[in-house]
This record gives sequence, structure tokens and C-alpha cells, in this order.
Amino acid sequence: MELKIPRVLLLLLLVAVAALISLSSAASPTADDLVAELETLRSQSPSGVIHFDDSSVARFLTSAPLPRPYSLLVFFGASKPDHHLRRLRSEFALVSSSFAAHHASSRRVFFCDLEYQESESSFSLFGVTSLPDIRHVGPQHRSLRDSDRMDQSDFSGLAASMAQFVEAKTSLPVGPIVRPSLISPRQIAFLAVALLISAPFLIKRILEGKTMLHDRRLWMGLTVSVYFLGVAGLMHNIIHKIPMYVKDRKDPNRLIFFVKGFGMQLGAEGFAVGFLYTIVGLIVAFATHVLVRMRNEAVQRGFLLAAMLVVFWAVRKVIYLHNWKTGYTVHTFWPTRWR
Amino acid sequence: MAATAETKGPSTLRNAFGGVLGVFILLLIGVLAFSIRLFSVIKYESVIHEFDPYFNYRVTQYLTKNGIYDFWNWFDDRTWYPLGRVIGGTVYPGLTLTAGSMWWLLNSLNIPLSVETVCVFTAPIFSANAAWATFLLTKEVKGTGAGLTAAVLLAMVPSYISRSVAGSYDNEAVAIFALVFTFYLYIKTLNTGSLFYATLNALSYFYMVCSWGGYTFIINLIPMHVLLCILTGRYSSRLYIAYAPLVVLGTLLASLVPVVGFNAVMTSEHFASFLVFIIIHVVAFIYYIKGILSPKMFKVAMTLVVTIGLAVSCAVIAIFIALVASSPTKGWSGRSLSLLDPTYASKYIPIIASVSEHQPPTWPSYFMDINVLAFLVPAGIIACFLPLSDASSFVVLYLVTSVYFSGVMVRLMLVLAPAACIMSGIALSEAFDVFTRSIKLQLPNILDNPPDAGDMNSVSSIAQNDASKIDSHATTKSETVSKERPSRKNRKKEKEKEKENVEKVPSHSENKKRLLVLPLEASAVAILLLIVLGGFYVVHCVWAAAEAYSAPSIVLTSYAHDGLHVFDDFREAYAWLRHNTDVDDKVASWWDYGYQTTAMANRTVIVDNNTWNNTHIATVGTAMSSPEKAAWEIFNSLDVKYVLVVFGGLVGYPSDDINKFLWMVRIGGGVFPHIREPDYLRDGQYRIDAQATPTMLNCLMYKLSYYRFVETDGKAFDRVRRTEIGKKYFKLTHFEEVFTTHHWMVRIYKLKPPKNRIRGKLKKPKSSSKSSSSNHKRAGNTQKNPWQ
Repeated sequence: MELKIPRVLLLLLLVAVAALISLSSAASPTADDLVAELETLRSQSPSGVIHFDDSSVARFLTSAPLPRPYSLLVFFGASKPDHHLRRLRSEFALVSSSFAAHHASSRRVFFCDLEYQESESSFSLFGVTSLPDIRHVGPQHRSLRDSDRMDQSDFSGLAASMAQFVEAKTSLPVGPIVRPSLISPRQIAFLAVALLISAPFLIKRILEGKTMLHDRRLWMGLTVSVYFLGVAGLMHNIIHKIPMYVKDRKDPNRLIFFVKGFGMQLGAEGFAVGFLYTIVGLIVAFATHVLVRMRNEAVQRGFLLAAMLVVFWAVRKVIYLHNWKTGYTVHTFWPTRWR
Repeated sequence: MAATAETKGPSTLRNAFGGVLGVFILLLIGVLAFSIRLFSVIKYESVIHEFDPYFNYRVTQYLTKNGIYDFWNWFDDRTWYPLGRVIGGTVYPGLTLTAGSMWWLLNSLNIPLSVETVCVFTAPIFSANAAWATFLLTKEVKGTGAGLTAAVLLAMVPSYISRSVAGSYDNEAVAIFALVFTFYLYIKTLNTGSLFYATLNALSYFYMVCSWGGYTFIINLIPMHVLLCILTGRYSSRLYIAYAPLVVLGTLLASLVPVVGFNAVMTSEHFASFLVFIIIHVVAFIYYIKGILSPKMFKVAMTLVVTIGLAVSCAVIAIFIALVASSPTKGWSGRSLSLLDPTYASKYIPIIASVSEHQPPTWPSYFMDINVLAFLVPAGIIACFLPLSDASSFVVLYLVTSVYFSGVMVRLMLVLAPAACIMSGIALSEAFDVFTRSIKLQLPNILDNPPDAGDMNSVSSIAQNDASKIDSHATTKSETVSKERPSRKNRKKEKEKEKENVEKVPSHSENKKRLLVLPLEASAVAILLLIVLGGFYVVHCVWAAAEAYSAPSIVLTSYAHDGLHVFDDFREAYAWLRHNTDVDDKVASWWDYGYQTTAMANRTVIVDNNTWNNTHIATVGTAMSSPEKAAWEIFNSLDVKYVLVVFGGLVGYPSDDINKFLWMVRIGGGVFPHIREPDYLRDGQYRIDAQATPTMLNCLMYKLSYYRFVETDGKAFDRVRRTEIGKKYFKLTHFEEVFTTHHWMVRIYKLKPPKNRIRGKLKKPKSSSKSSSSNHKRAGNTQKNPWQ
């Protein structure tokens, strides 16, 4: 995202630098030149991720003398990334900037990204067939196909696990991941002042009554939704950063919403079951508190029968899903002679 | 319902009968709560479970042997060597004192039970108490019917069973009772405004503080409720009486518990209660002033007080925030912080994050632990809002907070369980109320009258039927009891009158009630469905109690095609240590096995499950992650004689030390930076096969676990990791194997004496020691295990 604007500039600069160097010395650039060049490029990008294309791949990777005095982490992206890819790209930038913050000077690890539409041939050089893909090209890697591929499992933990990968490959600590806070300190101060000024008015309103706070239905709705989010395992998804669904590895067009295993779940799965948990209770409450007040007996009968069908279906569904997911089979304990 | 229409005589009798029946049901609930927890004793044996209970058992033994004063001053030199641990000042004494006094009472009644038996059955007994406390609490909120239902549900809720089966002698067993009972007394005080209950409430809170660190939940939840009441304009003098004595007396009493002490006034967990204490006084003062001043004067006084008050409170709050912010953790303990910020623990405290019960749960956990209650809770929530009283708003608040906490840590599902039971009890009771009322009011109508009867007629007939039915009901029960009752004839006359009354006076209310019914046959089906739902709950709970939660984890069993296998390796190993080592020898193991080693083997350990000293644990973790020589040096510096590792590779026991090993590396690396996690991972993956890193294959844990493992099947196939191990043939230079249990689950090694390391003499003593140890080792080369 942040690369959109400076990309043109960068390309210009790249061409300019390349031209300058080729003018000044016709021979291949020395290792130090390459490092200096990369460092210049890096300083141009706010997150420290250098945008590569086919020519820069050729310059810094394929034609550079071995061993290269640096290692590169290459992110393979597309010009129109989907949500997941965009998120990974920003996490990648985060790792890069955290790395930059931790190693103020003399770091020979560079983060760069490639776009499929621009540099198709480089993709085939690396042997990248599917996205997302992140590669580490060490100083010793002769063929780009041999570069270390980041495992699919390392994407799931996002920045933290990417950092682990980087640490494992480069044996340099990335340092703490510095996430930019959502609101700046100035905004915090503004909010605090606004709150302080409005506090007396708010308190007055509350004391007078008849605010949102006194609306029982609001509290009821909040309570039920907290319950819904709780049983849906939202905290699990937040803490472990679980996606809503994953793509099937064998068939990328198929989406997987439910996974087996007691200790894990996908986001959509949790919400689906949380919904089933909640809907049953809501129906029971509806029957006991709303339906009884209706005057028309036929309506009552119809609603009640429909409600019972839904409840029965929901409970059965959850029982079935639980057995499928955990493999537990609940059984009764009758006396042996009854069997 | 119809009881309102009756005269006093039958209604009191009916109430009396209901009371007796209620007591009887409660007794049965107690029996149910107790007996459903005995599966562990029946299926295994009467034995203390798991890890922490062994420590509690050891403390109780000490208490019963040496008395309370020695217990209070007990400095234990058998753990955390060489530091030791002040037990009296660092344990929550509630459980120990409870079991100790139960033992003392039984003994003074000449019932000679062993301490262990009392400890084993403490949890089931207190589950019955907790069920009764739940009845009381729910009764205060929504009446007896809901109370009984909630008590039944709590008696067998799997989440609570998992913590309170016979033998699981842990704080939670007592604490859940204390928690619910404290809540009950708070609600009771709130409903009655009685200082008597307020005092009892403070005492009950004291018991809770004695029992469990989770008391902070109470001291934050009750202030939250008080604040909510004030904000929504529900302040009353009853609220003041319920809250102010609790804070004053409760805080004073809490600081008497050594493990809490000045924490009761100095840590952030308690600040909410003090803040609300100030607020409630301000509010009470305002209400008082409002009472004695005229409205105009009050307005003037109000503006004056508000301006001054705001200025003062701003200053106080600013100082307060500055004070709190100056401490690095903002005055909160790590565990509390990880509740408020769920991602905190995984970032900063690996020792908390490493425990599996601190992981956030997924949806199957809810179904497993509260089962169908998960479906009923929303209905209970809505029932609590219609109408919203002080009591029901408290229960709702309890539920909301506990749902959130249970979402952060699976362990806190235990706190959710009572709330879920109360809510479901209310929901079920209301649903049954509606459906049975529908049947009761319409069934006679259909049986007696043709359907073309007029509306008015049907109303009266309902009332008549209702009244007569209840009356006859009462008569049959009371005939033997009361003799001074008027004769049948008189009574009939009375009944006639009564009927008139019914027709005249409450016809209005009956009319209303007539509308509050559902169609008969649909109600019958609904009742049937609810009963099926309840039946499924019972089946699930019994199954969970029998199959899932009763394993003592000290004795393991497995069913194979050739029958039942029992793995009693842990006790075998501890018994070996007890009988074959010197009484003052030090045994090193990962901290999980510390409590068991001290309690069962009576040997000094380096670290145990009370993880109070991270550095010490990190030292052991570092030793386990280091190569043999470095590990030997670390252990030798700690005077360790024996090293104990748990290994499940032969029988497929998954929670062994190799699976826990990454945590040892992480915790060790957190203090000693030369231990780096990536060194043990191949491409970020933890593996022990041929692809494993050399650091992994050379670390002490790997060597002690897999030493001679290849001799078992010739291939060294690890059944937990489902792979062949990476390095099969190696010798130990600084350790020697002294004991391996029947199924290889526990392996004990002895540190070789230091003289072996003297250069030049290296060869000779090594060979001699080898020959001496190989006497044991090679004796049964063909056998799986030399000790068989």
C-alpha cells in the first residue's frame, strides 16, 4: 500500500543508479557497491521493504558474486492482492521495520517484495507457483530455486512467526515486533480532554435517568452478545490469530470452515456453533415470555411447533458436530442385564 | 398461582409439604453431587490425584501431625533447594484447615479415618455444599423452583466435576462453594438489608480468601455490581449495608491471611473496591442531604459540592494514576493482567502461557464442560431481565464477567459453571412453569367441558378445577396430620364459599392468567423435549464423570485388544527413590513432578509446581537443554544426586518431558540467553528424528530420555512423536542410569561422581563405573527392561 506512490520514484532512482554505475565502471559492481545500493533503496521506503523487479533480481541475486555479502527476504505478491495477501504484506513490512528498529546500523539482511504482473520471469526463477510465498535467499544460495521457503504454518502466526523464521535463517534476532498503535498520542490527549469536558454533562444525564444506560433492552442485548462471542471462542481466535476459514490445500477453490480436533477451531466455525448455542436459548425465552402473551392460539401453536423444530435441529447439530470434531462418543451406563 | 385464592389453612399445609419435599430433594441433590464424583474411587482407587493435590495432602499431613502453630511457621527445606520455601506464609490455608478440622472432628468422634481418606473425599463433600449454596443463591434471585433446578444442574455440571472428583484435593474444590456462598450472602443482605447477613458475608468472604486466589473475582465483581446499581439509579440503604461492611470487615479479615497480607490494600486488584467504597459514601451522603434539604437548597448545595468534589477527586485520581503507573506491571499481578489483556501472557510470561489450562477454550470445550447449559443460558439471561431486580442484575453481571474470563482461560470455565447453572436453572424452571401451567389450566377444561363452552364458563371452571384439585391434593396429604379440621361437610361448604371467592375476587387475575398459556398439545411436546434435553445432560455428565474426568493421572490405564493395561510407573519410581536413596539426596526433575516427589518419595527437589522463582526453574530448564557436561556442572552446583525424567515414547504417553521440552528451552532461554529456541528447531519445527538439529540431539533431555531406547525394539521408534529417533546409539559420560520403571515412563539417573573427570584418570574409573552399572544394564539385553 505504502509503496504505491514511491514506486515510480524508486524505479527512476533504480534506473538512474544503475545507469550511473554502469557509466562509471563498466565492470561488474563490487560487493560493497551492491550493499550501499541496497541500503540507499531501503532508506527510500518507509517500512524498509525494497520493491524489486526483474532487473533488480538479476542485479542483486543472479549476477551478484558468491558469497553475497547480504541475505534477502523476498515477499511474492500480486498487484491486486486479496485480503489475506494484503495482511501478510503489511505483517511482512512490520517485521522489516521491527528489524530495522532493532539493528540500527550494519545489518546485511534486506527485505524486498516482488509483484507477479511486473516480474513474471523472476517468479519462475524462484519456482514460485502459488501465493503467498516468502523466500529467504542466503549468501550461499546459488540457484534461486534452492532458497528457503517459509512454511505455510509460519504465516499463521503472522509477524511473530515470520520473525522466528527470519531469526532461524539469518541467526539475527528481529527484536520485539513494534506495532504502530491505532491512535496517536495526540489523539489520546484530545480524547482525554473531550472526555473530561463532557464528563459533568454525562454524569448529569445519567443522574437524571432516561439515557441509553437505563434502557433495559440495551443491556439485555449486550449481555446476550457477550455470551454469544464468549461461547463462539472469540478470545481463542484473537489470541491465536485464527482466520475465519482456510483454503483447502488440495483444491484451492474449496474453503474449509470446520476442522477436527479439540483444541483448535476456525473463526467461522466458532461463530456458527456460537449462533446455534445462542439461538436455542433465545427461542426458549421467546416461547416462555413472548409467545404466552399472544392471544391467537393458532399463531401460538404454529410458532411453538416451528420453534421446537429449530431447537431440536440446533441441538442435534451441535451434538453431531461435537462428536465429529472431538471423536468422543457419549454413552449411557445401563445395568448389564438390561442389554 | 392459584394458591393466592385459597384460605390460609390448606395453603400453609401445602407450603409445609412443599418445604419438606424441597428439603428431601435437596438431600437427594447432595447425595447425587457426592456420588457422581466417586467414579475415580470405583474405577481406580482411593488415591490423591495429579500434582497440586499431593502438595496439599503433604501440608495437611503436616498440619494434623504438628498442629496449627507449627503449620503456620513451617519452613519447608525439602523443596526449592537450596532456597527452601515458607509454606505457612505462601499457601492458601483454607483447604488444608478445612480437611484438617474435618479429620480432627472425625477422630474426636472416634471415627478413625486416615488423613488421606479425608483428603480424598473433601471435594465431593464440598460439591454437595456448593449445590446447596447454589440453591440458596438462585432462590434469592428467582424463587425455590429455579433454585432446585439450578442445584441439580450444579450437582453434576462436568466443568465442576473435573475439579472435584474424589481425590482431586485442590483449592477449587472448596473455593467454588465459598464463592457461591459469598454471592448468596451478598444477595441475601441486598434483599433484606440485614447487618447479620452482612457480617456473615464478610466471614464467608474471609473463607474464600483463605481458600483460593480467585477471591479477587469477588472483590471486583461485587463493587462492579454496586457501581452498576448506583449508575442505574438503584441506590438504596440495603445496598450500602450489603457493601460497606463487606469492604471494611472483608479487607481487615483478608489481610489476616499471611499469603494475602498487605496485598489486600496495596495491589491494583483491590483498588476497585476502595474506589466504589468512596463513591457509595458520596452517593449515600447526597441521598441523605437530599432528604433533609428542600429541593431548592439541595440544588445550591449540589452545585457547590459538585464543583469542589470534582476538583478534589481529579487531584486524587491523578496522584493515584501516577502511583500505579510508576510500578512496571501497573500494580497488577501477571495472572490478572493476562485476564485483562489476553495476549499478555503469551508475550511476556511463558510460564503462565505454558500451562495448558491457561489456553483459551474453543467451542467444543463449552459443550464438553457445561453441555446443554450452553443452550439454556441466553434464556436465563432474558428471564433475569424480566423483571430486573438487584439480585438478578447481579447474576447477569456474574455471568457476563465469567463468560469473558472463561473465554480467556479454559481453567476459568470453573467460575462460569455456577453462573451457567443458575441461568439455566432459571430458564428451565420458567419454561417448565409456562408449559405445565398451560397443561394444568387447559387439561381439565378439555376433559370436563365440550369445546363449545363459553369463555366465562371456561374461566370459572378452570378456577374451580384448580382450586378443588389443590384442595383435594391437600386433603389427601393432610388427613392423617390434622385432626381438628372441620368435618367433610363443613369443608365442602367452605369450599363452596371459597369457590365464590375465587369467582368473585380473582376472576380478573384469572382472566389474565388464562391468556398466559400456550396450546396444550404443543406444551406437552415441549415438556417432553425439555425432559429429553435434561436426560441428555444427565447422560453426558455421568459419562464425563466416568470416562473423562476421573483419571488420577498418577495411575494410568489403557484398553487394548488384549484387555486392560495399568501403568503404575510413577508410584514405582517414587517408591524406588524412597527406598533406595539417601534421605537427604536431592532429585532434579522438571517442575511438574516436584510436588509428587516431595510427597511420595520424601526427597528434596530443586523446583516444584509452585512456580514462585522463575530463575530457579530456568536453571533447571537450562540444565535440561544443555549438553551433558554443562548440565552436570549445573546440577552438581545444586547438589543434585539424581535426575528424573518422564518418558512416554515406549508406551505412547503424550505428556512426557520431550513434549514439554520446548517450554524448558523457552523458560531457560528467558533467563540464560545462550539457550536459544531456534537452535532446537529445524525450520521452525520441533523434531527428534534424523532431521533434528545437533543441539537437540546432544541436549541432556534427549539423551536421558532416549538412552538405550534402541534396545527395546531395535529401531527406536517413538510412539508419541510417531517417528524413529535421530540418534540411537550413544553413551552417557556424566550420568548413569540407576532405575527405569516397568514401562519406561520414569527414568532415574545418577550424577557420576566428579573424580571421573580428572584428566589422565579418565579412562580407568569410567570403565569401572561402566562395568558396575552395566551389571544392571546388560543383564537382560534381550529383555525390554532390566528391572522386569
